[in-house]
Amino acid sequence: MRPSTASTTSPQAAPEQSGGFFRGRGFLTLLLVAALLWSLTSLSWGSSPVHPGGLASIGQFFQAALRPELSAEFLTLTLSSAWKTVAYAVAGICLAVILGFPLGVLASGVLARRWASRIPGVAAFRFLLGCMRAVHELIWAWFFVAAVGLSPAAAIFALAIPYAGILGRIYADILNDVPNPPLQALRASGASETKVLLYGRLPMALPDMLSYTFYRFECAIRSAAIMGFVGVGGLGMQIQLSLSDLYFNEVWTLLYALVALVLLVDLWSSWVRRYLTS
Amino acid sequence: MAFFALACASWIYLLFVADGGFRELFRGETWRQAGEFLGQLAGAGVEGTPTFLQWDEWLEAGALAYDTLAMSVIAMGIAGVGALLTFLPAARNVATGELAASASFPSRALYYLLRGLFIFSRGIPELIIAMIVVFAFSPGILAGAIALGIHNYGILGKLSAEVVEDLDPRSARALRTSGSGVFQMLAYGILPQALPQFLTFLLYRWEVVIRTTVVVGLVSAGGLGREFLLDMSLFRYTDVALLLIWYLILVVFVDLTTMFLRRLAR
Repeated sequence: MRPSTASTTSPQAAPEQSGGFFRGRGFLTLLLVAALLWSLTSLSWGSSPVHPGGLASIGQFFQAALRPELSAEFLTLTLSSAWKTVAYAVAGICLAVILGFPLGVLASGVLARRWASRIPGVAAFRFLLGCMRAVHELIWAWFFVAAVGLSPAAAIFALAIPYAGILGRIYADILNDVPNPPLQALRASGASETKVLLYGRLPMALPDMLSYTFYRFECAIRSAAIMGFVGVGGLGMQIQLSLSDLYFNEVWTLLYALVALVLLVDLWSSWVRRYLTS
Repeated sequence: MAFFALACASWIYLLFVADGGFRELFRGETWRQAGEFLGQLAGAGVEGTPTFLQWDEWLEAGALAYDTLAMSVIAMGIAGVGALLTFLPAARNVATGELAASASFPSRALYYLLRGLFIFSRGIPELIIAMIVVFAFSPGILAGAIALGIHNYGILGKLSAEVVEDLDPRSARALRTSGSGVFQMLAYGILPQALPQFLTFLLYRWEVVIRTTVVVGLVSAGGLGREFLLDMSLFRYTDVALLLIWYLILVVFVDLTTMFLRRLAR
């Protein structure tokens, strides 16, 4: 063990590899438990958290799980709204890649060779990406609706901006983590940084970038579904409509469709990832 | 690849079949409206001081931000404790007895049950869970935290069960062959390898959850989200700007905290 200044606990009490209770997992666990206890104090314990009769309606809701609405008419509606959700998600993720890729390259700073020209650019673009992804897609959607009105384009842009923020940041990290020796070889043979990027970094980084994009695609399906809250069609809006009419059977049909969709994309993306990384 | 076919189909649908509203993007009117909206956020055309320049309004919104932070922590508590209790039986190698536990019928049934639960709670977005939760719970921090907790329980459970499935099984087998019981094997052979990963996932999800608390607040729960809903509906855009600032402060705070905590987990 390294000599520790922070703690006098015995090694038995803190069996972490790198010195001291305050730098180990025991301390982390303590912090997490303390945070949880603190958060519980902010609840109002006086009033009952459950509605009178609320449990009964939850019971009704779960009973409806066994009897989803299966009329042909409603199934067609479910399918068409599922397709809308998929279309928004796909279009959103396409735009996110188009936006996120150049931003990611700029934020990784691989195009500049000298430190002085690299640092400001990296800081600026990382900050920009951070701002894009800090605001949730639904909030973006609401801003778009408030600013330019309700349309699928608003939902797609709202989806694309935070996703571009996430993708760009991950792309930048992946591009920075590419092993250096092959790049040095390219530089030694006189390639500019742009050429190093095109012929060295990108071919090596592409499988990881694609596999992360596919993982995000699964998340995009869920995000596209909740765009219904601001009035854009799709599974989320139908769920909201059926739920406010208390048609629990319909809600369950839609929920099953949504879960099936997410599961399908999950299987597809894990298949693609295995194919890409092997 | 199949994805490109899907992408083409989606774009064709959005551009030509459904009225996607993309044509309006290229009209000056749309851009003027967007500019106007941004101006309103910054306080143009408001009588009196914009909200984000008043100190007591800052404090008021700060109290809401405090509630939001508490909501995210409770949600992570629910998700974390739930996942911690169930991720072992949900791992395939534990359930089928590959790790030298016995492959009884109940443990297999439990495996499928838990995996089904993970899929459902993970597949349904937290906003929709929140809409359902408010049927039973009175709107407030707890309702939002439960909704967030359920959704993240599915994600955490799935991720950590997969960690157990990919573990190096040798230490567990060694313990088993030297005569330890099933629980000793799990506690000394598997958990020490899996828990650091679990903590990393927990912290990573917390970063996501703090962004989502606002969204859950929209339908039911307290905190910044409900106030956001009110202010947006009443066109009090300078209030919205203040809430947005507090929201960004929260996000940055949580990002920095998890960065520090992650160093501890390593």
